[in-house]
Order: sequence, then structure tokens, then C-alpha cells
Amino acid sequence: MPEDHSIIYIVDDDASVRDAVSNLLESVGLRAKAFPSTEAFCKEVRPSVPSCLILDVRLPGASGLDFQHQLIKSGVTIPIIFITAHGDVPMTSRAMKAGAVEFLMKPFQKDELLAAVRHGLEKDTIQRREESEMEVLRSREAQLTQRERDVMALIVTGLINKEVGAQLGLSEVTVKIHRGRMMQKMQAASLADLVRIADKLKSRANSSRS
Amino acid sequence: MVRRSFQRMGIAVLSVGVAFGLTMLVQPLFPYPFPFLFLGAVMISAWFGGTASGLVAVLLSTLVVEYFFVPPTYSFLVSTTAEAYFAAFIVCAMAVSWVSSAKRRTELALKEALDHLETRVSERTAELLKIQTELARLSHVLSMGELTASIAHEVNQPITAIVTHGHACLEWLATNPPNLAKTRLTIERIIAEGTRAGNVITRVRSLFKKEEPVKGRLDVNEVIHEFAMFLRDEAARRGITIRTDLVAGLPKVKADRVQVQQVLSNLVMNAMDAMAEADADSKELTIGTGAEQTEVVVRVEDSGTGLNEESREKIFTPFYTTKPGGIGLGLSISRSIIEAHEGRLWAAPRISGGTIFQFTLPTIDSNA
Repeated sequence: MPEDHSIIYIVDDDASVRDAVSNLLESVGLRAKAFPSTEAFCKEVRPSVPSCLILDVRLPGASGLDFQHQLIKSGVTIPIIFITAHGDVPMTSRAMKAGAVEFLMKPFQKDELLAAVRHGLEKDTIQRREESEMEVLRSREAQLTQRERDVMALIVTGLINKEVGAQLGLSEVTVKIHRGRMMQKMQAASLADLVRIADKLKSRANSSRS
Repeated sequence: MVRRSFQRMGIAVLSVGVAFGLTMLVQPLFPYPFPFLFLGAVMISAWFGGTASGLVAVLLSTLVVEYFFVPPTYSFLVSTTAEAYFAAFIVCAMAVSWVSSAKRRTELALKEALDHLETRVSERTAELLKIQTELARLSHVLSMGELTASIAHEVNQPITAIVTHGHACLEWLATNPPNLAKTRLTIERIIAEGTRAGNVITRVRSLFKKEEPVKGRLDVNEVIHEFAMFLRDEAARRGITIRTDLVAGLPKVKADRVQVQQVLSNLVMNAMDAMAEADADSKELTIGTGAEQTEVVVRVEDSGTGLNEESREKIFTPFYTTKPGGIGLGLSISRSIIEAHEGRLWAAPRISGGTIFQFTLPTIDSNA
């Protein structure tokens, strides 16, 4: 568990709950940072370390649930653990459907909260790893020339060099040269590897567009 | 039923009889037969006895007029000269009977419709009243429900903090070596949170406590004067200038001194809190009085940030607060106190910024 450098954020307008949650997290060696409002949380420059957010549902102004949607809309993927004094089933299911890690009723027990926090941090760690992998793949892709990009697009559909050449109006030898450079830049060990990389890039491009 | 028809016939006979008597009296005055009073008899019979009675009256009148008044008199013969005259009488009598009974029927129908309408209206009114009572009860139950939810929330927060701190405490003790400084700090917080939960309960209790106010003759100016002296220190500490604007010769009110002080103190504390953020040189608090016809008006003005329209009404509902750390009961308690004195408490914007809270108390004379 990446506890050593991770941060747990807390947003609750009630100072006593805020302090108590910070105190509990600190007592088990976790780093906690508490905010009285979502605005204050947004202003915070968050370091790029595994983190999760413990969020009160009942807040002045926009509720915690609204804030969850706001974060999703702006592409922030921090895992959220909701805490509330009076949650109901529709509220819970709405939060969970939108990807919340856990929905805890106040007062909650230590194990519930810590389990949720661990889960949240793991989720964020995985998200971050995937994101950095994607970052690497994207930077490799960015090094490709337009020709190499075209060759890659056709090769991953299963065409052989000759067919690729015919489609792009190039000789087989030229295609081979482009292909070799492209495989090198993408650091793909085999055609199967390249297909996997292309799939990842494609799925990410689609999901970030939707 | 039979009796009713006898009554109707009786009306016809009686009215024709009266007409006959009167006609016998006046006939000697006229050189020609005078049957017009019989038309009146027909009209009355048809009016009170209906169509049948009217027709009986027509028949009787015809016979009587023919026998006694149409020449040759005292016989059922009709002289040729009187034929047209007699025929005209019969036609007139029948027409009168018809018009009169028709009119009567319309009148009755109208009256019945009106009665029906009245019953309907009173029925609906009763129904509406019932609904209204039910609604009032429901809204009361609803606001009690909301209140309960708010209380539950207010108590649940410190309890959550206590439970969480408790867990933290165990963790601080479990470290090696035990972190006693943190343990101590955490226990202190637990005590503070427990006290906070207790305070919520106490305040809620005082909100519901039905303590009858001890109302006596009260000089509001005097209460304010006394109170303002207490305030000077606190106000000075907060950099606030206190002004009093008391109208001399204010009529006495019937009120509980302690409760009026409580309301004043609530309003003044709120006013001070409202000015916490204001510029240092413009922090001014005014307590003023005024006399209306049957009541005394007290106002507490602040030069603070002011309230928007929505908050101005909401601040009187229990547990609504615009203050960080406020519990939201002060104004709702103040309002219930003033209302128990048959006065009103409300908030209005101050023209040059800030808010004016005003309450009224009925004067002793108006109570008498």
C-alpha cells in the first residue's frame, strides 16, 4: 500500500468532524489535509501522488454529490468516499453509480473508513499507473512521422507490407523501412505488441472524447 | 296530501268569498257590473294555492259574477248585451290565474335553487375548513419532522467526531511508544465534542420548554439603557460603536423582563457578528425605540454585510444559520418569545447597508 507519500483530502463544513477524521488518519500514519469547503479544496494545488477524497454530502451551496459530478465533468478522477449523517438508498446508489468508492453513514467505525481509504488509494494508484503508461505511449506516438503513422494504422488492421504499399502508393521496400522505424519508436517487440498498444491508444482517445 | 288540496280549495273559496263581500259593498256605486275584485281573488288563489286553486277560483268567480252581477242579476242567464263583457271577464280571470301561478312556480323554483345553493355553499365551506385544519396539522407535523432531522444532524456531528476521535485515541496509544501528547489532545477534543452535543440538547430543550413568561409593567427604554451599559465592554473589544435612539415618554408594555433581555441580547449579538467583517470605522450598532398606536417598536440596526431576501425570512427557522459555527436557534427562539407576547419580530434591509431587526410589544393600555 502506497501509504508513505499518499494524501487523503477531507472536505466537511463541520470543523469537529473534519478534525476528528484528520486525527484518525494521522493516528494510523496517513497524511490528511482538511478543507471546510469544496472551493478551498479546488484552490489547493495537489501534488501528483496517490490520493482520495473524503467528502461530506451535506455542504453549504452545492452538495457533495453535485461536486462529484463537477469533478467528473472536469476530468478529475480522484476516488471519493462519501460521509453523511442522513443518506438514503437513492442518494447512495447515485453516488456509487458515479464511481464513488464508498458511502459511509456518520458515525462510522475506524475499519470502515480505513478500508475505504485503502481502496480509494489503490484505485488512484492504478489509475495513475495507467495514466503514466498512456503518457509514455502517447509521447512515443508523437515521435512518429505522418508516413509511419499511416503505416502503423494499416498494419494493425492485419495487412501485409505489400498491401500497405499498394494502399499508400509506396514500394514494399519503403513500407518496410517505415515499418522498422515505427516499430522501434513505439518500442513494440512484435506485431501483437503493436496491436495491443494501438488498441490502448485508440480506446483512451475514444473514452476521453466521450 | 288530501289536507293540502282542501287547504288550496279553501283559499279559493275564501278569497272569492271576500271578493264577493267587497263587491256587494261597492257594486251600488257603479252603474255597471264590477267584477275586478274577483280577479284579485283569482290572483291570490293561484299564488298561494297553485294552478288548481286558481282554476277553482276562476270557476267560482265566474258563477258568482254571473249570478249576482251580470244582468239579469240573481239568475244564471246572460243578457246578450253582457255576453262580451262576461266573456272578457272569464278570459281575464283565466289569464290572471295562469300568470299568477306561473310566476309563483318560478318564484318557488328560484327560492329552492337558492336554498340548495346555500346548503351546498355551507357544506363546501365546512369541507374546506376541515381540509384547512388538516393542512395546518400536517404542516405542523412536517415542520416537527424537519426540526427532528435538524436536531438529529446537529447531535450526530459531535457524536461522529467523538467516535472518530475515540478510534484515533486507541491508535495513538497503540503506537510504540504510545503517543501520549496526541492522546491527551484527542481526549480533550472528545470532551469538547461531548459538551457541544450536550449544549445542543439543552438549547433544544429550552426551545420547547413551555415556560409561562412572567409579564409585568415594563419600561422598554429602561431595559435597553441597562442592557447597553453591559454591552459597552464587549462592543469596545470588537471595535463597535453603540448608539441608542430612545423616544422619551414611551408607554409601558406588559412583558417579561428576562425574556425581553434575552431577545435584545440575541439581536445585538447577531448584529455584532454581522459586522465582524465590516470596515473598522463603520461598525455602528443602533438600538432604538418608537411608539405606535397600541405598541412599542424596538429596532436593532447594524452596518454589517446585510442579508439577502431569502435569508431574511429563513433566519427565523430553527437551525438555519448564516454564521459559521452558529446553531441557528437564537432568532427562532426570539421570535417565539415575541409572539408569546403578542408582538412581531422581523428583519428588513438597512438603506445604507446592513440589517434592521425590529420587534413590537403591545402597550399596557391596548391590553386592558
